[in-house]
Amino acid sequence: MASISSRRLAKELREIQAEGCPVGISLVEANDFSKWVFTIQVMGDSLYQDEVHTLQFRFDPQYPISSPAVQFVVTDGKQAPIHPHVYSNGHICASILGNEWSPVLSVIAVCVTLQSMLASCKKKERPADNDRYVKHAPENPKKTLFHYDDDTV
Amino acid sequence: MSKEPPTPTGIRLPKALPLDSESEDLLGPVQEVPDMSLSPLPPLVLPSAGTLLDFPTQDEALSGLTPAQLYDMNQDLYYDSVPTRALIDAVAPMSELRSEYENGSAAFVKEIDWLVANGYTYVRRTRGDGDCFYRSLGFAYIDRLLSLPQPARDTAVATALSLLDGHPAILDGAGIERLVYEDYYDLLKELVEKAGKGMRQEELLETFQTPENSNAVVLYLRLLTSAQIRLNRDNYEGFLVHPDTKELMSVDSFTANVVQAMGKEADNVEIDALSHVLQLDLDLAYLNGVRQDGVDFIPFRNASNKDDAPLVLLYRPGHYDILVKQ
Repeated sequence: MASISSRRLAKELREIQAEGCPVGISLVEANDFSKWVFTIQVMGDSLYQDEVHTLQFRFDPQYPISSPAVQFVVTDGKQAPIHPHVYSNGHICASILGNEWSPVLSVIAVCVTLQSMLASCKKKERPADNDRYVKHAPENPKKTLFHYDDDTV
Repeated sequence: MSKEPPTPTGIRLPKALPLDSESEDLLGPVQEVPDMSLSPLPPLVLPSAGTLLDFPTQDEALSGLTPAQLYDMNQDLYYDSVPTRALIDAVAPMSELRSEYENGSAAFVKEIDWLVANGYTYVRRTRGDGDCFYRSLGFAYIDRLLSLPQPARDTAVATALSLLDGHPAILDGAGIERLVYEDYYDLLKELVEKAGKGMRQEELLETFQTPENSNAVVLYLRLLTSAQIRLNRDNYEGFLVHPDTKELMSVDSFTANVVQAMGKEADNVEIDALSHVLQLDLDLAYLNGVRQDGVDFIPFRNASNKDDAPLVLLYRPGHYDILVKQ
């Protein structure tokens, strides 16, 4: 019997294939149950007009009880959006990816949340501690204990 | 997340000991207190800020390390933050728990002795990972079915299964998607069915020690708890406080961020909600180190069959285990 994790991801994938992704989000790659890739774009008026960013999800066998490792792709000429909660290595400081992750959320729910995080941004800038963080950051953003200190951006 | 917990108010001052208390004897004859007004204390010499702060900054300390060392350090920190106790343990005699308090709190030791004297001679301990209430309850719920003699077991299993049949409607009604709960629902149902077919306790323990299954039960019970609170919001609103900041929370934010999120400890509200929706009787034996002549049992009574003996969990502030009566 397939694990709960892959059964759940299979269902999420079927739903994406049947109903499509929300506007501005598209599935680029989902060849297995360990890594999925999406592109994400902010629709309408925003600081990220005409930018397309690539978002990568990695799942461990405990998904969805354990949160997915989510980050922007910064290889092959791709860049992370400039945002106060997004580090230049693609890591994202968002509570729903950390201590507020809940298994009732889904891959698409995360995409939509990050899309609206970009849409509501008032000023394009990197986090204040970007250089220091990027220098010492673990490869997997889930190993970072982010401090979620700002609910307004 | 940025708000500080409220400053405690009305802190009690330590009680002055009466002059004839026992502790006076322990101290021996009363020492003569020197008259402070006649011999002023020597001036306090503080180390200068320079010597205090003569540490390498964290950046400098880290920059001497290779990337591999940094990675290992990070990994160690990550794994160290995860406790090593089994998710749920085999039963252990209470003396094991007692020994942990013998060099510490005499009050706790007395309370443990009281439990033992009243037949609670074993404890089944759980990992302190914030899910211990749900995990203890899930285990105790199935374990009770296993340990019932026939024909009581068949009746209890049938009751549990018919109750389970009603769960999807409750979860759907609370707006929890089928996609989210169905795999966990199936697992719990399977466990109840297995209990009816005489699953051995070792198999149950193994299931609860395997993270995938164990956490599945925890999550399912969290979803049920959440549904019960959302569907009966009038009963719970006003009692929902953030576990760390103690700030009042709305039903939606409480259920989403405290109940449905793994690793967030359960309190009275969640226990009440879950015992309602599972229709069970539960006692929390509250070890608080205050009462020494006994232990308070906090009752939750929601079983339809009043012949059922309540499940008994042991509560020490911040942690739940299962109490086993001989």
